[in-house]
Amino acid sequence: MLERGIEEKTYVLNLGPQHPSTHGVLRVELEMEGEFITKADPDIGYGHRGHEHMAENRTYPQFLPNMGRVDYLHALAYNQGYCMAVEKLIGLEVPERGEFVRVITAELNRITSHLLWVGAYLLDLGAFTPFLYCFDDRENALDLLDYLTGSRLTYCFYRFGGVPVDIDDDFTEGCRKFIQRLRSRWVDYDNLVTKNVIFIHRTRDVGLITQEQCIRYGLTGPMVRGSGLPFDIRRSEPYSVYPRFDFEIPIGERGDVMDRYLVRLREMEQSLRIIEQALDKIPNGPIMAEKVPKRIKPAAGEVYMAVESARGEFGCYIVSEGNPKPYRIKLRVPSFGNLSILPEIAVDTLVADLVAILGSIDVVVPEIDR
Amino acid sequence: MLRDNIHKALAPLNLEQVESGDYAKTGYHLEITAAPEQIPEVAKTMLSLGCFLESLTGLHYPEHFTLVYHFNNFGELCRTAVHVKVPLDQEAPTISHIYPGANWYEREAYDLYGVRFTDHPDLRRILLPFEADFHPLLKKFEASSADA
Repeated sequence: MLERGIEEKTYVLNLGPQHPSTHGVLRVELEMEGEFITKADPDIGYGHRGHEHMAENRTYPQFLPNMGRVDYLHALAYNQGYCMAVEKLIGLEVPERGEFVRVITAELNRITSHLLWVGAYLLDLGAFTPFLYCFDDRENALDLLDYLTGSRLTYCFYRFGGVPVDIDDDFTEGCRKFIQRLRSRWVDYDNLVTKNVIFIHRTRDVGLITQEQCIRYGLTGPMVRGSGLPFDIRRSEPYSVYPRFDFEIPIGERGDVMDRYLVRLREMEQSLRIIEQALDKIPNGPIMAEKVPKRIKPAAGEVYMAVESARGEFGCYIVSEGNPKPYRIKLRVPSFGNLSILPEIAVDTLVADLVAILGSIDVVVPEIDR
Repeated sequence: MLRDNIHKALAPLNLEQVESGDYAKTGYHLEITAAPEQIPEVAKTMLSLGCFLESLTGLHYPEHFTLVYHFNNFGELCRTAVHVKVPLDQEAPTISHIYPGANWYEREAYDLYGVRFTDHPDLRRILLPFEADFHPLLKKFEASSADA
C-alpha cells in the first residue's frame, strides 16, 4: 500500500542461528516483501568440526567414535554404515546374530529419532503437549538402548565384525513391552495430532515437492517417500538381514508437509514390525566374527556403502591407499541434500509456513556441517 | 536394464572408460572415467535417464584433483561413479544448471579443496567461515595448535 507515501521495499530477516525452530545452529537469511519470502539463503557450517579431516588422521578403529557424533539422533545408522563399509573393504563377514542385534538396535534408534522429530516439529507449530507424549515414549526406547550400549545419545556400539554385547532376556522382554506400549499410543497420536484441525491447516498443501524436484536435488528419505517415490535403501539396495523381514515402505500422495509427517509416523510402526520379527527369528551363535584383524590395513581401493538413516541415505565413501589410515572418507549425509532444496521451495511462502517446511525436512544440523 | 541404457546413452560421448563395476566389492554398478569438459554432457545424459546426483567428492593427489560424482536411481538400483581428473591449476565445469542439487556439493568441494567451478552461480564457501583463507582437506594442510 503506497497510499500514505510509505515506500515499498524488501527487507532482510535473519532466522537463526539460535532460533528454536532451526533445530541446531542453522541460519537462514530471508529477503521479504511484506509477509512473503522472496529469497531464502541457508547459511550452514556453524557446527563444522572437520570429521572428514579427522578421518584422514586416524586409523580405522580410531574413527569409530566420530560416527556417533555426526547425526546424533540416529547415530547407530552411521555406526552401521561405516562398519559395513570397512568390513566390505577388508572382506570381513559378520555372523548372523551380530547382524540381528545391529538391526534391532538400529531400528530402535530410528524410532527414537522419529519420536523426537514428531515432538519437536509440533513444538515448532505451536503445540506443546505432543512433545511430552513423544519424549515419554522415547525415554523407554532410550532406556533399552542405554541398557545394551551404555549410552543414551552418541552411540559407539558396533565394531568391525559384529557387536561387542549380546542381547539378553531382559532386553528382549523390555523390547516387547516397548512395542506393545508404543502400539497402544498410535491412537493417541492420531487423535491428538493427525486429526487436529489446526495441524491439518498448517500442513496440508504446504511445502509441495514434486518427484522431478526430488531427482534434480538428490533428495532421499522421507522427503522422497512423502512425494510418492518408494525409495528406501533397506528395500532398494538391501543390506544386513533386512531382506528377511516383512515390512512396508509408507509413501505419501501429494508431497506436502502433511505427507512427510504421515510417512514418518507410519515408518515407526514398520520399525516396530521389523524389531518384532527380528526378536522372533534371531538365531543362536556368535555375535563377533572370529578372525578380526588386530591391525586394519585394507588394500588400495574404494568402496561406497549406503544405509537408510532416519533422514535418508547415508553413504560412506572410503578411499584407501593401503595404509592403516584412510586416504579419504566422504560422508554423504542426507540432510545436506535435503536442505539444499529450501531456497527453491521457500519462495513465495509465509514465514510461518517456512517454519513448517524447514521442520518437515527434519534437518540435523551437525550432520550437515560434519 | 538401466545399466545397459546408461552404457548405450553414454557411447556417443567417447568417454575414457565405461565399465561395469564389481558391485560386491565397491558398491558400483558402473564405473566411468571422463575428462572435465565432458562432465556436463554426462550429467545431462544421467538426468535424462532419471538418475539423481547422490554425492560429489573431491580427492587431492599430488598432481591433480579427482572429482567423484555418484549417481543413483530411485526406480532401479544402478550406482554410477564418474571419476574426473582435474589438474591442480584448472577449473572444472559446473553441473549446477543441470542438477541444482550439485550447487551445494560444488561449493563444498571449493570450500574444502579450492577447486573452482566455471560458471557456478554462487561459488562461496559453505562450511567454513566466508573469510577463511585455507582449504582444509588439501593434503598439505595440517591443523596445528597455532591454527586452532
